[in-house]
Amino acid sequence: MKRYWQMLKGLILYILLTGATVMMSFPLFWMISSSLKTVSETNSPGIIWVPPHPTLQAYFDIFKNKAFLTAYFNSVFYVTLALAGTLISIAAVAYAFSRIEWPGRNLVFFLMLSTMMIPPQALIVPQYVFFNLLGWVGTFKPLIIPGYFAGGAAMVFLLRQSMAQIPKELDESAFVDGANHVQIWWEIVLPLVKAPLATIATFLFVGLWNSLLTPLMYLQNVSMYTLPVYVSTLYNINLTVQPWPTIMTAAVLTTVPLMVVFFFAQRYILESVVVSGLKG
Amino acid sequence: MIKNPYLDVLATAALTVLFIIVSSYLVGGLARLIVKWRGATPRKQANTFAGYLFASPWIVGFFIFVVVPLGFSLYWSFTDYRIASGKPIQWVGLENYETILFKDDNFRASLVNTLYLTVIGLPLQLAVALFLAALLNQKIKGERVFRMSFYLPVILGFNTAVLLCWRLMLNTGTGIINQLLRAMSAFQPFSYLMRGAIFVQEVSAAFFLGINNRNFNLFHKVIEAGFPAANRVPLWVQSPLWSKMSVVLLLVWGCGTMMLIFLAGLNNIPKELHEAAEVDGASGWQRFWKVSFPLLTPYIFYNLVVGMIASLQIFEPIFVLYRDNQPLVPSAISMVYYLWQKSFSHFEIGYGSAISWLALLIILVITVIQFRLQDRWVTYDVY
Repeated sequence: MKRYWQMLKGLILYILLTGATVMMSFPLFWMISSSLKTVSETNSPGIIWVPPHPTLQAYFDIFKNKAFLTAYFNSVFYVTLALAGTLISIAAVAYAFSRIEWPGRNLVFFLMLSTMMIPPQALIVPQYVFFNLLGWVGTFKPLIIPGYFAGGAAMVFLLRQSMAQIPKELDESAFVDGANHVQIWWEIVLPLVKAPLATIATFLFVGLWNSLLTPLMYLQNVSMYTLPVYVSTLYNINLTVQPWPTIMTAAVLTTVPLMVVFFFAQRYILESVVVSGLKG
Repeated sequence: MIKNPYLDVLATAALTVLFIIVSSYLVGGLARLIVKWRGATPRKQANTFAGYLFASPWIVGFFIFVVVPLGFSLYWSFTDYRIASGKPIQWVGLENYETILFKDDNFRASLVNTLYLTVIGLPLQLAVALFLAALLNQKIKGERVFRMSFYLPVILGFNTAVLLCWRLMLNTGTGIINQLLRAMSAFQPFSYLMRGAIFVQEVSAAFFLGINNRNFNLFHKVIEAGFPAANRVPLWVQSPLWSKMSVVLLLVWGCGTMMLIFLAGLNNIPKELHEAAEVDGASGWQRFWKVSFPLLTPYIFYNLVVGMIASLQIFEPIFVLYRDNQPLVPSAISMVYYLWQKSFSHFEIGYGSAISWLALLIILVITVIQFRLQDRWVTYDVY
């Protein structure tokens, strides 16, 4: 009797989990399915799970759309440039906080952690005025340059935790061999924290790729739009019939890089979210 | 300077790197001078130099991008500063704050809406995250796949593209969600459940809208209309009664990070405690509430604090779903959306600064209250 009860429980568990999985990933499925439909199919009542005559028309069209391709290029360009600088500066600052003893370290570290409490919107307005004075509004610079100053205290913290776990003797012996801090940082410490670096890179990538508020503020010309900003213009509130297949095609293409990154990095992410989330 | 925008950015980035390196050497050198003057050993001098050298990207950035801006915005919040008008900055004292707090209906609406998302959305999000974590904690095959698929929404999360897909799915007439609900409401118990949920949701939303515009007409109307008719479906992105619930739906969908943290918490609960409780004859339900739940409270606390800060700062879903959607805007705008609208559509920098300082204060106060209250319900014993 108990065995049947156990089996039933297992069955219910799997049904619940599968149901939740279906619900969680449904938007993705619907996005792809809708991108293969025609406009009248997406706007008609009645459920069309998979279009009876899938058409790739929207995909062909979008590759002829100059503005979309420019936005795609802009996103790739700005994310690459911002990611590289931010990652390196975070790695440097995390090194200072974990591997070197210097007076004032705890105070500076405490200051850094307390900036996590400041909501970014308190800084939006003055930073905008500042960049406006520099003449940077309308360029990618305000989206890229702040990151070069180790933007993101939470990420520094996460990396610091991993760096602090490397035995100190490693640096000591390198010192005896005549290495300097830059060499130790680049050649010894960084290779040892590849996994957390990959996680941080993923988080930064996702954050930059999805970012809407800052590009929306600073980019004023369509030729400079990044993907999220451009895609949001595809949906026009004043139209009665939205070109959903086109929008969903753009959506699918926007999502592909995220999916690829998630696929390769998910093992690291799932572990370090748990570690960083709790001790952060 | 350079005409091509891309090359221009590359040049600026290179200059920035140069600037950071130079300023790092300067900061490091200065720090070394100070400790040398105080008579530190050469070893300590070298460490001080290296420490400040490596930390100064953040230190320099902290002054450029945090301290100075915060100072300026505090000053501007007491002025009438319109960036597009070209007029000089005018000191107006507390006028901005007075207007926001007592006269600005839109700000009150944005505050109430943000509150709704926090009071109604966050507990739902926590509950779903906890439920999913409890399911995954049963040690079953394929846990990884399930875990991955629950976390996926966090990655796709608030990308405009995915939000637009939600916009398509939430359409009242032709959206897939309502079509599924309609199909399912053919079955009797489900139909009643759904109508009950619709009623509860509309009453609570109408109540919040009543606080919004200081008259409770709609609230009374919804109550008078009574139990919804059999063919009713949610009006998601179409009605002010539902606009906030659509955002809550999105928040619940993106509960993956919370779920992972709960999962870690459940994994950390010592097996012996459960075994001991089982020997004493506790049922599964009792074991969850009497053993697991108290030990999970630190994790709930963490998720609550982080989740609350996140929901107080919500922007993207509201922008994508309700931008310029006139009848709905007052029922949906969040604090950050309103800040964006004031500062960057109307270019009222002084007013925007005052809003952002109020937002900062609100978030700070709520966080401090939460830390004060944690002694009452968070159990740290076993750790």
